[in-house]
Amino acid sequence: MNYNLNSLPEREAKSSTWSGVKSLLKLVEQERKTLVIALCAVLLNAFLNLLGPFLIGHTIDKYILTKQYHGVLVFTGILFAMYATAFVSSYFQTKLMGGLGQRIIFELRNAIFNKIQQLPLAFFNENKAGDLISRVNNDTDKLSQFFSQALMQFISNIVIMVGAGIFLLIINIKLGLAALVPAIFILVFTKLVSPWIKKKNALNLKSTGAMSAEIQESLNNFKVIIAFNRRDYFRQRFDLSNRQNYKTAIGAGLANNIFLPVFGLFSSIAQLTVLSFGIYLITQGDFTVGLLVSYLSYATNFYNPLRQLAALWTSFQVALAGWDRILQILSLNNNLVTISYDDTQNPTDALLEFRNVHFGYPGGYEILHNISFTMQHGKTYALVGPTGGGKTTTASLMARLYDPLEGTILLRGKDIRTYSPEERAEKIGFILQEPFLFTGTVRENILYSNSLYHKISNAQFLEVLKEAKLEGLLATFDEGLDTAILSGGDSLSIGQKQLIAFMRAVLRKPELLILDEATANIDTITEQLLGQILANLPKETTLVVIAHRLNTIENADEIFFINSGEVTRAGSFKEAVDRLMHGKRLS
Amino acid sequence: MKEQISTDKKSPPGIFSLLRPYRAMIILLILFALFSNGLNLWLPRLIGHGIDAYNSGDFSYQTIITEFAAIALVIFILSYLQGIVQTFASERVARDLRTRITNKISNQSFAFIERTNPSKLLTNLTSDVDSIKMFIAQAIVSIVSSIFIIIGATILLLSINWRLGLTTICIIPIIGGAYYVVLGKVKVLFKKSREVIDWLNKVINESILGAALIRVINSQQLEYEKFFNASTEAKTIGVSILRLFAWLIPIIVFTANMAGLTILALGGHYVIKGGMTIGDFAAFNSYLALLIFPILVIGFMSNVIAQATASFGRISQVLHAEDPAETGTLTQDLTGAIELQDVSITYGEKSSLKDISFKVEPGAKIAIIGPTAAGKSQLLYLLTGLIPASSGKVLYDGKLIEEYQSEAFHQQVGFVFQDSIMFNMSIRENIAFSDSVTDESLEKSIATAELKDFIDSMPEGLNTKVSERGLSLSGGQKQRIMLARALSLNPKILLLDDFTARVDPQTEQKILTNITANYPGLTLISVTQKIAAVQHYEQIILLMQGELLAAGTHEELMSKSPEYIQILNSQQSTSNYEL
Repeated sequence: MNYNLNSLPEREAKSSTWSGVKSLLKLVEQERKTLVIALCAVLLNAFLNLLGPFLIGHTIDKYILTKQYHGVLVFTGILFAMYATAFVSSYFQTKLMGGLGQRIIFELRNAIFNKIQQLPLAFFNENKAGDLISRVNNDTDKLSQFFSQALMQFISNIVIMVGAGIFLLIINIKLGLAALVPAIFILVFTKLVSPWIKKKNALNLKSTGAMSAEIQESLNNFKVIIAFNRRDYFRQRFDLSNRQNYKTAIGAGLANNIFLPVFGLFSSIAQLTVLSFGIYLITQGDFTVGLLVSYLSYATNFYNPLRQLAALWTSFQVALAGWDRILQILSLNNNLVTISYDDTQNPTDALLEFRNVHFGYPGGYEILHNISFTMQHGKTYALVGPTGGGKTTTASLMARLYDPLEGTILLRGKDIRTYSPEERAEKIGFILQEPFLFTGTVRENILYSNSLYHKISNAQFLEVLKEAKLEGLLATFDEGLDTAILSGGDSLSIGQKQLIAFMRAVLRKPELLILDEATANIDTITEQLLGQILANLPKETTLVVIAHRLNTIENADEIFFINSGEVTRAGSFKEAVDRLMHGKRLS
Repeated sequence: MKEQISTDKKSPPGIFSLLRPYRAMIILLILFALFSNGLNLWLPRLIGHGIDAYNSGDFSYQTIITEFAAIALVIFILSYLQGIVQTFASERVARDLRTRITNKISNQSFAFIERTNPSKLLTNLTSDVDSIKMFIAQAIVSIVSSIFIIIGATILLLSINWRLGLTTICIIPIIGGAYYVVLGKVKVLFKKSREVIDWLNKVINESILGAALIRVINSQQLEYEKFFNASTEAKTIGVSILRLFAWLIPIIVFTANMAGLTILALGGHYVIKGGMTIGDFAAFNSYLALLIFPILVIGFMSNVIAQATASFGRISQVLHAEDPAETGTLTQDLTGAIELQDVSITYGEKSSLKDISFKVEPGAKIAIIGPTAAGKSQLLYLLTGLIPASSGKVLYDGKLIEEYQSEAFHQQVGFVFQDSIMFNMSIRENIAFSDSVTDESLEKSIATAELKDFIDSMPEGLNTKVSERGLSLSGGQKQRIMLARALSLNPKILLLDDFTARVDPQTEQKILTNITANYPGLTLISVTQKIAAVQHYEQIILLMQGELLAAGTHEELMSKSPEYIQILNSQQSTSNYEL
């Protein structure tokens, strides 16, 4: 599956406004009841708002002009009651529609996050972190702005507009039709330019994503920029994406600003039409001056919301462009599904077996060629070989971070793909080459996603650590378990991060524990301690160690060479050392 | 939690000061807006004239249509121009502001970036600039034209009938009061919602950056729960804000309607009593309608202004941060002689290095060893000038590091960082990262780092793109690219931070031999875990918890430092095989 969001095939057919709306409407499906009540409130409110001028006109004609002050007071009372009702309905309208918007955006946000959680590692390798973050934050924010602010105005404007349109047609069908002709032009115009506007906005969102990725990369690597005298590089690279962003933003801004003048022009034309055609009708004896005055105000009532819709329409287009980018993520599927069938031939009792495995990263060359080996319970295996030979890749396949292109990987004699992610994670522990820490404390990071010790007190937890002989590793942390970890663990050295990752993995008591250069930046004395801890693990635990230090290899029961995408077994430690020290590199 | 950049709260430069360089554009913008608004007020009068003209019998289609069409067209042109100027003004301000911020950042020290936190700077450059853009694109024009309309309508109302006029404009303070109360309450919630958004972003960021770990541990559900909590909180706050606004809008509409009722009842009374004409009465109604919209607009825009002002405040903090003074003027070639005199680095109460002193001869090879969190990397950062010493002196060729011009200095000091830092560019650009690198030195550095075979095996050779965070490269490959990056400078001094950790012994051996052969006279300072590889170095420095425990040759340390022997013993099995 192609996970690169910036090179997904263009989904032309899907980019029309209507299909965007349809997919958005699916989000509100379970909210139908609230939607109906809210719409009732909107309708009532619009009706009362339209009725007001009519009643005032009526009062003027019937009572003020005939000097009956009592009637004026009666209608004042009626209007007051009406306005009070409108007050209540307007409150509920805002509250219900706004609440609906909040819930939709809530569901949407959760859906995106959930989707991202389901996607495999390949997705993260193929997209820049900055771009992904921008998609999830900025694009949902655009949608959220639309839902929380514009949607309500959008609907009530449409209702007022339709109401005014009906009044226009009822009072005089001919004049009504004439008054609505400019609206048809607006409709056609909108339909014609909307895709263009959306495209412009999508381009802008894309360059915004690129810019924030650029900033993210440079700021996070600022020390290299300083140490290599490339402050100008930071400026240049940023300048480029800033200018690019400026260009697309101007494009989007100019496109977005086209609606308002055009709508204004057509609404003026409509008024002119009503005025001249109305006067013509009066001369024909089909119409009266009084009706013309109220007609003009209804025309205003029709075209004013239309003008507001123009402003909203752009924010709608921006939201749709964001929605498209979000849909791109939502439409991706995890290609690492759990399969229910298992057609494994000749199952063995080995813990792990690779059978004729081929693998390559998307868009790259094949990295592993036809690899086969087995690993038994309770043994320690060392994977050695030159850098870039495929050690980490092999380990990643063991933990099913990727699936092989060809061949099968068996865990306890069963295809690894038949295990649910829960079972797999329980059986396989993997200490990654680049340790990652969450913001929080050392304790939280050690116990990350560990349900066993989740609720215990610090004192009890120290006991647990002591039992696992892990306690000594806490010495380098100033405040022990409660040492704070700032974002990304910047306050700690890599060695310290590796210690936490080590404790985290060991406490989960996996059957297969993979250490991918997990102790590379840890001093040798502490490393000896780690060795003792590993020796202390239950007998049936299988260890797979990737390391460059010979002592780690020395303790291995078996040694696999991984080089140029091929795995061979070393007969003895001596042979391993000879090959490592003096062997020819094939790459 | 994070400390402020500047704590002094002198009056912040107003957001309007930002507009000064764009004065011409802004004035043009306001002129366009005022003209098109003024003309818009004229159209109803034209219609009224038309009706009056018909009543008095001298109605002419031609006059009314040409006049009306002409004005409508002018309005169209003016508002279109206004849109264009608005776009250019707001985008230009945003672009220039971003450039100013990045220029500022690019001159700052490493310590500044760490202190202010990269993600905060990212927010400054993106959402803070956006809210200022919004301010220019929407607030300025709306507020100027709203004030224009309010003043105009008020004058008209008072001139028609001052008593009725006064009662009508009572709605302005009432609506203003409602805004004041609601926005006052909302402000607290807005602040909270900003915090929640930061929280959401943090969870999102960590779930993306820690994607591999999450998949290994299968903790997607846990991450989702974290996110769900933040998301629910965001929803709750959103709903509370909404509830306040749900009151605001009906109150405004209701107040306006009450004004309408007052006009009806009181104005009706005047008309019946003969104190007012029916035409004036009708005009009152239409001017009331005119009055309400701008009040609403000002209310909403005050929010935009408040947000923009807050954003501008945050940006100003960055813009007004003090530039690190470039004191150095020395551009001379370094020989490689380094001396540290009683150097300490302290953060608040904690010190990561304590009274470190040692000397390095030109061309010498020095190793720094010590346990995790001993301060080894800190020492290298200090030597590159990335972080300043809290006390003590760092001397290159007998002169303080601060006296060197930083560009000339960095040109001669290559640093291979411990963490792999790859840029989203081609391999060539990643290695020849500094622009002073020649093809020749590029090739030499690639050969020295044993990267030639690897690069040749890549689909597009040197032009192959490295994805962000270098995910498609192995740890060792990344380390070697970083080494080549440092070597391509042809440095006099090379600092290696645990370089050999991810490179296999055989390659490591080759690379170290290459360095000695290809870069004769290079002063090498290497932080490492493996003693065997550095046994023959001129000096080995043993650091522990920020203190220099012992320094000397391997033999000297063997005889005087029990800690050194302990470390060595922990490595016996490796040294047996003569790495």
